[in-house]
Amino acid sequence: MDLGRNQTKERAESIVPMINVVFLLMIFFLMTATVAPPAPFEVAPPMSDVDQPGEAGRTLFVDASGVLAWSEHRGDAVYGALAGAGLGRSAEQPLLIRADRTVAGSVIGRVIARLARGGITHAHLIVARR
Amino acid sequence: MIDVVFLLLVFFMLSARFGLDNAIPIAPALSGGGGYTGAPRLITVTADGVLLNGTPIPQTELIGSVQALMPSEDAIIVLRVRGEASLQTLVDVLDLLQRGGINNTVLAE
Repeated sequence: MDLGRNQTKERAESIVPMINVVFLLMIFFLMTATVAPPAPFEVAPPMSDVDQPGEAGRTLFVDASGVLAWSEHRGDAVYGALAGAGLGRSAEQPLLIRADRTVAGSVIGRVIARLARGGITHAHLIVARR
Repeated sequence: MIDVVFLLLVFFMLSARFGLDNAIPIAPALSGGGGYTGAPRLITVTADGVLLNGTPIPQTELIGSVQALMPSEDAIIVLRVRGEASLQTLVDVLDLLQRGGINNTVLAE
């Protein structure tokens, strides 16, 4: 009788299918993901019913106290940096603004007006789904 | 190699953000009017409520009153924020206008 050997042969598992699955998952994540740079501070966008996906791109952050952040620039220095960024000058490349919902609305009005004086007239405000 | 692939997989799973955020376009009120015609349509958003051309107005009547002042469907509406009104309040008013079919809003300082 030589039953034992056959049974052990069947149990031997190949690692190749698992590698295939892992590769598949990795390709899936590579294709679908947008790797976003970390936010300079915690921002909770305002809630809205709007269901209109915005563009992907670099974002101007405004925190609850009205402090601006654009890459490594903070405060009023962002306007100079934004002038050279070339964003917000056409509808195809709007400037994204992620502002906290508790920030004073007048701050956003001032930011929009100052950006417009610098030629940045196309801005999109990021909102959260209600 | 499989270790590296796993590591990459975990990295992408953790750093990925799926889907794009919703966004509403916010246009500035440009000097020179930018094609503004017709009667003044200035909505002032305050923490206590909404004013149309300086007169307090209930939010339920806002759409009808604004539309009565619009010479065309895509006429410009000027919005401004005064006082302590938060961004959420402004977005709520923008939502309200959009539900009423008023999309061409500009934000003044």
